[in-house]
Formats: sequence, structure tokens, C-alpha cells
Amino acid sequence: MKVDKTLVASVALHVLVIGWGLISFSARSLEAPPPESMPVDIISADQLSKITAGIKTGEKDKPKPLVEKIADARPVDDAVGKITEKKEIVTASAPEPPPKPVEKPVEKKPDPPKPVAEDKPKDEPKPIEKKPDPPKVDPIAEALKSEDTKKPVSKPEAKAAPPPPPKPKQERTFDQSKIAALLDKRDPTRQSITGAALNSSASLGATRGTAATLSQSELDAMRARLASLWNVQPGVEHPEELYVTVRIRLNPDRRLAAPPQVVSSGSSARYQAAAEAAVRAVLQGQPYTMLRDETYEQWKYMDIDFDPKQMFRS
Amino acid sequence: MPVTSFSLPSLPFNRRDILIGGAGAAASLLLPSLASAQTKLQVTEGNVAPLPIAIPNFVAGSPADGEVGVGVAQVITNNLKHSGLFAPIDQAAFIEKIVNIDAAPQFQSWKAINAQALVTGRMTRQGDGRLKAEFRLWDVTSGQQLTGQQYFTSPEYWRRIAHIISDQIYERLTGDKGYFDSRVVFVDETGAKERRVKRLALMDQDGANVRYLTRGSDLVLTPRFSPSTQEITYMEFGQGDPRVYLRNIETGQSEIVGNFPGMSFAPRFSPDGQRVIMSLQQGGNSNLFVMDLRSKSTTRLTDTPAIDTSPSYAPDGTRICFESDRGGKPQIYVMPATGGPAQRISFGEGSYSTPVWSPRGDYIAFTKQGAGQFSIGIMKPDGSGERILTSGFHNEGPTFAPNGRVLMFFRDPGGNSGPSLFTVDISGRNEQRVPTPGFASDPAWSPLLS
Repeated sequence: MKVDKTLVASVALHVLVIGWGLISFSARSLEAPPPESMPVDIISADQLSKITAGIKTGEKDKPKPLVEKIADARPVDDAVGKITEKKEIVTASAPEPPPKPVEKPVEKKPDPPKPVAEDKPKDEPKPIEKKPDPPKVDPIAEALKSEDTKKPVSKPEAKAAPPPPPKPKQERTFDQSKIAALLDKRDPTRQSITGAALNSSASLGATRGTAATLSQSELDAMRARLASLWNVQPGVEHPEELYVTVRIRLNPDRRLAAPPQVVSSGSSARYQAAAEAAVRAVLQGQPYTMLRDETYEQWKYMDIDFDPKQMFRS
Repeated sequence: MPVTSFSLPSLPFNRRDILIGGAGAAASLLLPSLASAQTKLQVTEGNVAPLPIAIPNFVAGSPADGEVGVGVAQVITNNLKHSGLFAPIDQAAFIEKIVNIDAAPQFQSWKAINAQALVTGRMTRQGDGRLKAEFRLWDVTSGQQLTGQQYFTSPEYWRRIAHIISDQIYERLTGDKGYFDSRVVFVDETGAKERRVKRLALMDQDGANVRYLTRGSDLVLTPRFSPSTQEITYMEFGQGDPRVYLRNIETGQSEIVGNFPGMSFAPRFSPDGQRVIMSLQQGGNSNLFVMDLRSKSTTRLTDTPAIDTSPSYAPDGTRICFESDRGGKPQIYVMPATGGPAQRISFGEGSYSTPVWSPRGDYIAFTKQGAGQFSIGIMKPDGSGERILTSGFHNEGPTFAPNGRVLMFFRDPGGNSGPSLFTVDISGRNEQRVPTPGFASDPAWSPLLS
């Protein structure tokens, strides 16, 4: 029996040790996929104001068709940050709404920065939904309940008309109804997203809208084209030093607007030769037909890194 | 050699390019403020393909210069093609005929045939009998003149001019020094296998201008170039023991290096050409000695009961690599040039021999024997990064081109055939046979002549 006990103990120990070994050693290393560079715009205050300016013109045109795309108009406005516009409209048209403008700018100001950051890396619908929800929950819910479609239409375009209804309801409502309103609202916002894109087509390229984001496939196609033209010498000494960055400016016709600029630096003759090879590739690659018109703002200026290091790993 | 050179100024029409460059510079000043919206693109895979280059026949400055104009273009074409880094375009494809090298070529017609670089040149016999050679190298895609030179020399040195121009093109487009204006000393082998006559021979790097330095009465082995003088050192079996000799290739005078009892072999010059390092036989072993060619003083570097041989200096002269069987099989060791502790750097399967340090210092080439094969390979001086460049029945005796990017070695296919010379890039690409009049072995590459 004793023998059995020790045997059992040893078996148990072995199982433990082996099991522990299996668990701890069989773990696969997490393979992180190589990070793909994503085109990201950092928009300055000036640019934001320019964008809003563009929207102003859009609004002027919109008033007539507004009814149909009622829901759409709102999210677009919020995202862009049309504080200035609304203020103007409010002052011009209706004396009553003074409280509203105060509320809206406060709410909207925080929003615009978020969409800019979120839109580019992530999908279209989510950011747009998030923005409209918190600020306008009450008015929309009420509007939907009371007048269904008409009120939302009126709010975005003619800001004077909607103000009265939201004010009283905003103050107090049942929680359940609010939730319902939220749910209800989400559907229209989704529809409105699509609608928003249509409305703001003029400003698409500049601000948001995934349609205007330089896609990975475009970049990959451009990368492939440059790789096929980039002449790399075998057997070169210290290839890790031959990292060349070429800055280009492109015209809308996808050709270079100016000679490529080598913005990285190196003093050796080998570096000069490498830089010239990179410039040759960029010159030969034009026109870059894989780039779309809608994304022009994003490929107008590009920095292209030519890095031969990985080719010489042995 | 009587070659004088002057740089050709850029053509006046290049002012336009300068203006463009100026505009570009101005644009670059503006760019940083706009750079915030810039998209980054990273290209990490390129095309390891030879650069397409067009080399039309050089224009004849006078009717009598047509032949040399064609010859120079052919030599340049051949040089660049054999380097593996350039793909000269067949002249039959050319659209534009270059008639005046002082006018800009029509770059569109060269782009049309996918040329990325263009060489134009002119050969002119001068009134004083000298030959004037001019050339310009153009970047076809940007329309810039990359370099331009003119040379004056005696007409018989036209091949040398072509090599110098080849080096200029190579250096401008790769950033590395060229190696075309150089020579190779080797052992020429003729006759039946059992009665092979071996003569010391000298030729241009491309196989032209072969000269024989010895008559073949005595067996010669392992010739080596001096890095700084017109001298070679080699091992010759005269009367009695084989000895290390020193020979002036211009005057033909030769002398024995040192006066040692027994056999001396495997000589090689120091980087400054002032000393010769070699092996001396001592009983069943051999050790390394270095001899100062001026003072004739000899210094012993190793004292081991083993065979130490095939020493080779690092280009800075501070260290040597050599072959030794002190660990059993022949392996490569590195030690200070003044002697001292040696560190083994080769640890692969098989045995390693004939190490030679690259003139640019980054690699040591060797012959590796194992598994019934002889291979040529390179490794870093610390023993890492071993790379086999070629393998086969018998490959031996690597020697570096002056720029350290190409190796020459000899290959013997076995049977009744004989050895011949080959070159290979240190990346293992572009193996090429070097034309020789007969069989050839033991090549040694000279430094650049100019």
C-alpha cells in the first residue's frame, strides 16, 4: 500500500508538473501584426473653421430639400460644429431661443474634436451616433412622439421654429420615455448618417466621412507601384543607414506638382545614390492613378519612406 | 600611367533644372507648415534588379576616332553589365542618335526605352597626338547631369580610359567606389594535366591585356598584389625548397624575401605595402612571421605546435586573420597584427582555409571544405553572418575586388579539364566567368590603379 501511495504521489506530482509545463510552455506567443500606418488628419482650429464655413453654404442650399432628409441634417451639423452658424441664425430669425444657443454650443463644442479623432480610425456609424445622442435626446424624443417627422426637419434647418417645443419638455420627462426616445432616436440617426453624407457632399473631402478617407488599398497600391520601381542594390554596405524619406506634393491629376524633396539626410555617397534611386522611383511612378479624387486632401502631401533594411536581413 | 582628368562643367541648359531645384527648395520651406495633414507611406520592399542604362557609342571627334568611340562604349557596357548592378540596353533599341554631347539629350526618347541613366561621350584625337575622352552621365528621369569628366591620355591607353569612366559611372550611381580600373595577377595553366605548365600572368580585371611574368620553367603559386607599389609577392618552387619571392612587374626583377632555412609560403602584403607576412615551415609545423621589406627585420607572430598559415591583414593593419589547425581541423583565427592571443571565429561544419580580409573591412572571405564540396563564403570578422556564396567540386582562393563588393576565385570542375576564374557578388548573386587565355587559378586582385 505504501508503495502505492508513493506511486500515486509521484504520479500526481508528475501530472502536476507536466500539466503545468504544458500550460505554461505551450502558450503561443502573441503575434502582433505589423502596425499598418493609417492616414490621420490633425485639424487645426483654422481648418475647422474653414470646414464650418463650407457647411454654411451647404445649409443655404439645403432649406428647400430639407424636409426629406430631416434626420440627416442634424448629425452633420453637430459633427462639424456649426456653432457660429446657429448663433447667426438664432439672432437673425428668432429672439425667443436665446437659451438654446447657449446650450447647444456648450454641448457641441466637446463633440467636434471627438468625431475627428474617432472617425478616421474607426467605422462611420458609431461616432456619428454617439455625438447626437447625449445632447439632443430630449428634443428629438419629444419631437418624434409629438410630430413624428416634421419637427426634426425644422430644427436643423430653420432653427427658430423648433426651439419652443424642446424647452418645456427638456426640463422634466419620465426616465422610461427618455430611454424609448433614445432607442427611437438611434434609428433615425442611422438613417440620418447616410443622409448626412449626401447633404454634406461638398465638405466630405475635408472633414469626415469615411468615403473621403485614404484607404489602405489605395496606399497599398501606391506602395506596390513604388516598390516595383525602387531599385535597390544588392551587397551595399550598411543598408540600415540608407533610410530615405521623400516628400511630395501632388496635383489633382495625380502627377507631382513639384520635384520630390528628400527630407531625410545623409552625407555619404552611398546615401546620395540611395536618395536618387528613391526619387527616381517617385518620378517614374506618376501618375498615381490608384488615388481617388475624393481623398485628394489626404494625398496632396505625402512623406514616403524608403527603407531597405528589411531586404538585407540574413 | 599618363592619364590626366578634368571635370566637365554642367551644360548651360541645366540652369533650368537649377531653377526647378530652387523652386523645390522654396516649396520645401513652405511644406512644414502644411505638413500636418501629410500622409506617411512606408516602402520596405524594393526591386533588386540591375539599373537600366543606355550607353551609345561615343561620338567621334574626328573621322579617325570612330573605332575607339565604339570600343570605349563596348568596354564600359561590358564592365557595367558584369557588375550585375546595371543592365545596359541593346543599342538597337535606341531611338535618339547622339551626335553632340554638348547638347542635352532628348530624355523622352530615352525614357521610352526605359533607360534610367544615359552615358554620352566623345573621343577626339588631339593635335599633339594625345587622345581626349569626354563623357557625361545623365539621370534620365530627372533630366539632370550627374557627372561629367574629360581625360587626356596616349591613344594606346583607351581601354584604361574606358575603365576609369566605368568607375565614375559606378561610383556616381551606387555610391561605392568602382573596381574596373584594376588588374588581376593569376597562375596561367597550359598543357596536359600531368605536365601542366604554370606561369604567372597579369591582366586587366575584364580579362584583356594579358601579360606573362614568368616563362613557366618553375612552379609558381599564390601570387599577391602589393597595395601600393608595382610589386607582387608569390611562392616559387626553384632549386630546393619553395620560397617567397618579390617581383617588380614593371622591371621583371625578383628577389627572395628573407633568408630562412626551410620552406616559406603563403605570403601577403601589409596594407601599407611595407611588410610581407607569411608562413615558415619549422619541422612538421609552420608559424607566422612578418618581415619589414626595408629593414629586412623579421618578427615571429605565432609559436604553436600547429600549422598556422594563410595570414591576411585587416585593411587598417591592426589585426590579421589566418588559418590554423591548432584546434584539430583547420579553422580561421583572428589576432592582433603584432601577435598575441588568437580568437577562433569559424565554427561551422567542415574545415576553413585561405581567409582573406575585405578591403572595406566588413567581411572575411574563405574556402570551406566539407561534405565532399569546396565552397567560397564570407563571414564577419567576429565570426557571425557566415554566408556561402558558391559550392561545388572545387572552388578555392577567394580575392576581393578593390571595393569589397565582388569576389574572384577559381573553380576546377574536375576530370581532365582545368581551373578557370569566376567572380561573384558578396550577396551571392551574379556569378560570372572571367575570360582567360587558358586554364587559370590563384587569382589576386590589385587595388585601384588610379
